[in-house]
Amino acid sequence: MSTLQKSIHPDEKYKAGKLGKKLSGAGLAIALLFLGLSIILTLVSGTANSGHESKWSRFFHAYVIGWSYIFTLSVGMLWLILLHYLVRGRWITAIKRIIEAMATAMPIVFIAGLGFIIPLLAGYKDLYYWAHPDAAHDHHLAFKLGWLSPEFFAIRYVIYGVGFSALAAYFAKKSRQQDETGDPKISETLRIVSAPAMIVYSVLTCMVGFDVLMSIAPKWFSTIYGVSFWGSGCVGAFAALALLVLGIQRTGRLTHSVNAEHYHDIGKWMFAFTFFWAYTAFSQFMLQWYGNMPEETHWYKYRMFGEWQWVSIAILVGYFAFPFVFLLSRWTKRIVPSLVFFAVWQLVFHWLDLYWNVMPSYDWTVTYHDGARLVAGPLQGNPELHHVGFSPVDITVWIGLVGVWLAGVGRGLTGNLIPTKDPTLPLSLAHEVQ
Amino acid sequence: MANAHDDHHDHAHDEPAVYPDGELYGVLAEFDTPGELIDAARKVRDAGYTEFDAYSPFPVHGIDEAMGIKRTILPLIVFGGGLTGLIGGVFLQWWMNAYNWPWNIAGKPAWSIPANVPIAFEATILFSVLTTFFGMWILNKLPQVWHPFFRSDRFAKVTDDAFVLGIEAKDRRFDHAATTKLLKDAGAIAIEDVHLEGDPRRKQMPKWITAFIVASTAFALIPFAIAAKARNSHSSEPHIHIFPDMDFQPKYKSDTAMDLFPDGRSNRGAIGGTVARGSLNADDVFYRGIERSESGGAWTTGFPKQLEINDALVKRGQNRYNIYCSACHGFDGRGSGAVPLRVAAGGGAWQARNLVEPGGASVMMPNGQLFNTISNGFNTMMGYANQIPHADRWAIVLYVRALQRSQNAALEDVPADHRGSLR
Amino acid sequence: MSATTTAEGAPGTEHHEESAKAREAFRAVTRDVAWVAEAPKPHKAWLGALGIALIMLGIGVVSIYHLVTTGIGVWGNSNTVGWAWDITNFVWWIGIGHAGTLISAVLFLTRQTWRVSINRAAEAMTIFAVMCALLFPLLHTGRPWFAWWMLPHPNDMGMWPQFRSPLMWDVFAVSTYGLTSILFWYMGLVPDLATFRDRFAAKGDKVRAIIYGLFALGWRGSARNWHRYERAYLILAGLATPLVFSVHSVVSFDFATSQLPGWHTTIFPPYFVAGAIFSGFAMVLTLMLPLRHLFNLQHLIKESHIEAMCKILLATGMMVGLAYGTELFIAWYSGNLYEKFAFANRALGPFWWSYWAMVSCNVLIPQFFWSKKIRTSPVIIFVLCIFVNIGMWFERFVIIATSLARSFLPSNWSYFTPTIWDVGLFIGTLGLFFTMFLLFFRYVPVIAIAEVKGAMPEAHAGGNKDKH
Repeated sequence: MSTLQKSIHPDEKYKAGKLGKKLSGAGLAIALLFLGLSIILTLVSGTANSGHESKWSRFFHAYVIGWSYIFTLSVGMLWLILLHYLVRGRWITAIKRIIEAMATAMPIVFIAGLGFIIPLLAGYKDLYYWAHPDAAHDHHLAFKLGWLSPEFFAIRYVIYGVGFSALAAYFAKKSRQQDETGDPKISETLRIVSAPAMIVYSVLTCMVGFDVLMSIAPKWFSTIYGVSFWGSGCVGAFAALALLVLGIQRTGRLTHSVNAEHYHDIGKWMFAFTFFWAYTAFSQFMLQWYGNMPEETHWYKYRMFGEWQWVSIAILVGYFAFPFVFLLSRWTKRIVPSLVFFAVWQLVFHWLDLYWNVMPSYDWTVTYHDGARLVAGPLQGNPELHHVGFSPVDITVWIGLVGVWLAGVGRGLTGNLIPTKDPTLPLSLAHEVQ
Repeated sequence: MANAHDDHHDHAHDEPAVYPDGELYGVLAEFDTPGELIDAARKVRDAGYTEFDAYSPFPVHGIDEAMGIKRTILPLIVFGGGLTGLIGGVFLQWWMNAYNWPWNIAGKPAWSIPANVPIAFEATILFSVLTTFFGMWILNKLPQVWHPFFRSDRFAKVTDDAFVLGIEAKDRRFDHAATTKLLKDAGAIAIEDVHLEGDPRRKQMPKWITAFIVASTAFALIPFAIAAKARNSHSSEPHIHIFPDMDFQPKYKSDTAMDLFPDGRSNRGAIGGTVARGSLNADDVFYRGIERSESGGAWTTGFPKQLEINDALVKRGQNRYNIYCSACHGFDGRGSGAVPLRVAAGGGAWQARNLVEPGGASVMMPNGQLFNTISNGFNTMMGYANQIPHADRWAIVLYVRALQRSQNAALEDVPADHRGSLR
Repeated sequence: MSATTTAEGAPGTEHHEESAKAREAFRAVTRDVAWVAEAPKPHKAWLGALGIALIMLGIGVVSIYHLVTTGIGVWGNSNTVGWAWDITNFVWWIGIGHAGTLISAVLFLTRQTWRVSINRAAEAMTIFAVMCALLFPLLHTGRPWFAWWMLPHPNDMGMWPQFRSPLMWDVFAVSTYGLTSILFWYMGLVPDLATFRDRFAAKGDKVRAIIYGLFALGWRGSARNWHRYERAYLILAGLATPLVFSVHSVVSFDFATSQLPGWHTTIFPPYFVAGAIFSGFAMVLTLMLPLRHLFNLQHLIKESHIEAMCKILLATGMMVGLAYGTELFIAWYSGNLYEKFAFANRALGPFWWSYWAMVSCNVLIPQFFWSKKIRTSPVIIFVLCIFVNIGMWFERFVIIATSLARSFLPSNWSYFTPTIWDVGLFIGTLGLFFTMFLLFFRYVPVIAIAEVKGAMPEAHAGGNKDKH
């Protein structure tokens, strides 16, 4: 509740200089290396499996996971910007440029997503089962194939891409303008715009969850899915923010402006979203488990039995219980090595969570007692016979896409890394957590 | 060190001071702003004092550090409380629902972890909240409704607008003159000594408070006394009836006395020879499989006349047989159904009767006896009278006969024009 | 008191005006809050409102008497709509309580300092709303004097509560919530009760000084005490935040764990929480706007605070709207015929009027709050908030009544009409709520004096600030 104010330290280095370019370069290198590796791995891999005709199916499944991952990192930070203006926040001002850089990676994220949208449009049928010709004969699916058609899906994808990119770009651009003009009215304008922007944001984010991830298992549905997807994404986004801010401080920049108080708040948000995600995930699971209706429980059946149950337990313990207990303490959030540990930890588990959301749907076969196999679509047959079937591509595609995202973030790290003329900056610099 | 006899009547009061002030308790110094209070607190702390405290109408930001207050261990205590709540909440549910009285609800396992999460969570919160609340007061040594500083009128303004620093005389470094000077130098706008009560009568707790405590304690014991009495005594008096019209309804319960009827009972039994509607079942062949004659009864060897023996009845029999009988006797009647197989898989040896064994008991039984076995059971086989209507039981008898025939068939039984298809 | 003064106004020359002003500002806060309780005669409008509230409470007492002595058959729900008005009212009241916890805990954690002017009253509202809410399930049991059977206790029958039932979760969630709210509220009150104690003692009103003094637990405003107090406050806020989420989530589980179309949907927990906050803020405004005017608290409960609450109403209203939309979309997307029917039936079936009342009050009415002009006109806000209260009541009614009146079996289909006793009890709880609130307003510090002072710029005045 402090109203103390501070001005930028005279020795502060807050010019980005070549930082952004370097990060973009590194990101691009990672992307080329790992996506190239993934393509080679797929090319040299054996034949198609798990009921897919094309051996690229694993690659594309991993691609959807990786894409969702980098999307959530940006979308979480876009939310933080909107919230910042909406509630007249102040503590993030000192690191706002970094947050903006993460959010403005949005166009790059959506360009990267074309990697699975274009094949889908070109008739690739081994990723989303609703794009498979068999789906038309399934009366559980036939009625919604108008919604889940590659064309309409792609149209919606473009809407999401344009919507999120425009929101992020608008807020970043206006905020940069303030650096030049110092006009406090810009904050006021952004505050007014942030309210309708938040509405657009909420609708689009939920829809991305429904479209990109939920429709991987097209017969399954859950109204909370979009919210849960967003909550999990924000865990990852805040973890990534902590690491990025630290990385930038390691280059000697922002060393005076950003301190344990800011890390404490980033840690608090990461903690809060860890809890929020657990809350939504539990609500979804418990209600479907309790209702015990086959059209809903089949999704969990393949995650509670067979090999996947171990992944489920790992997520419960690793993504919720362990970080929750330790992040309760203020010290784990204020001491840098500890915060780094938990940020990296949550970033890994955020990926595992998305993996767990997508990959159980990878196996499209039903195996009969006599060994006969039939292609029947995702989540069919005996769950004991569904394997995690880990593939190195799962990891390499993910890292490659993170590289793409870092390249996008680097684009935004230019000029001043502190919004020098933001009226809330003095408050943010003097920020203190109770 | 200051003591009670230090200050005699060296100050004049308008009101008659019958007793001198008691021992010096401490010194209060008032400051103008929260910032000055912080600075003063730092100076006092730097001077080595430990028994001092700052008093303010609201928590002053930064004073903790200035006074050198150690971080409270309250969060740790709360963590312990929360953990106790969590474990307690889980244990409560496991013991009550899964161990002490397992009970099937909606097919959910007795030990249903997802369904136990909400209460485990609430118990965690409840215990954490209770430890926070009570832990905070206990650590603060409150409630303590009286404190010597309350004797100062200046101190009463702390809850309004005053920023006061108090140093207690019990501090090792306390020296009246030096301490006062220190506070003055720190910028106090007013300094004041606070003494303990000197009037021996007023040192005592007022009698009415003692009386109130005794009375309320006694009053609080009444429920326990009543409960203790109720547990150790018997009474033939009825319950207290809150709703007499619910407890005493104008109706007769079964097997009670009633004056209206000559037998004095409230029950009215059935009139002799009454048969419930639809339960007469006079046809012995159809309902019991017995042919009655002058000399007694014998199992019927035919079928009841109301049944038409045809293909449809055999099919019906097959259908019922496969549902009710095949689990033990097997689809072919040889006694190797799913149940014996399962017993065998478990290492046991139990065989259902082979219904089709040539010359076996089942083959030799008259139809009526087969019917009776289905109806009333045999050895470990239970009766199926409740599950299978009479006509269906006869259909099963017919099908069993067909099974016996087919399972023991010879070449001659195959119609001549079909024999060629056999190998 | 007979304390000795050895030095008075020692550095007197340095008495700058600034600090005098700051102290006057602190005193003004105390005075402005305390006068409500100190006024020798209550305000006429207050007396009038209390009279009306007591009459409503009387209606409630009569309704409860008739209900308990006759049986719950006197309500209109002796058909398949067995949860009709009572559970609607239960959920509505619980929801209203949520704003208090949100203001005291969530806004505290997110450092929204404007909360200090209203948190005390909002927390009081929480407690009274929970009391009203608890009446309904209690009476719906039919034999409220056996309510203690719901709590686990060793007994002659060897019976234990059935913990797999969401209704049992409610017992734990709501009672934990009620207890936490009371403790949290009381803890916040203690320093202010000490202020009252000292004021009444100074005035010579011994009886009140003793009463307030007992409840103030001997609070001295010591820095060592404040330190632990602030920690405890932060911890309680941290505990109350997940608690407030859990309570309405558990209430939503009552519905969502079933398979009934329109009830079984996973968005219910966050959607109920958002709706609860929405209705709660509407109720806070409904109560505070007239009382703020009546007791001249405009400079403590500022226009900007009212505006902030209007914005929260707008935001939560949109969340509720988003949930309505999601439900409709998934009802279609799921391909479940029963779900589709349930939602079509809500909008077009026999209860269509309640559905459209809900949509217009909860989604359309808050849209007015986009306008700053409306956000700053108390009368219009008051009217709009009453609409929101009505809309949120209808939301629960729509969920409960339309789904129960059209469950899977057509033989279960029915229509619900409330009886006079349904209405009477509802009016009674309103009466209880307003009575409690009016009494609170007169006798308890209605604004968190210490917190308001701590949030004032003067609280950081003086001294060498940049020492640490």
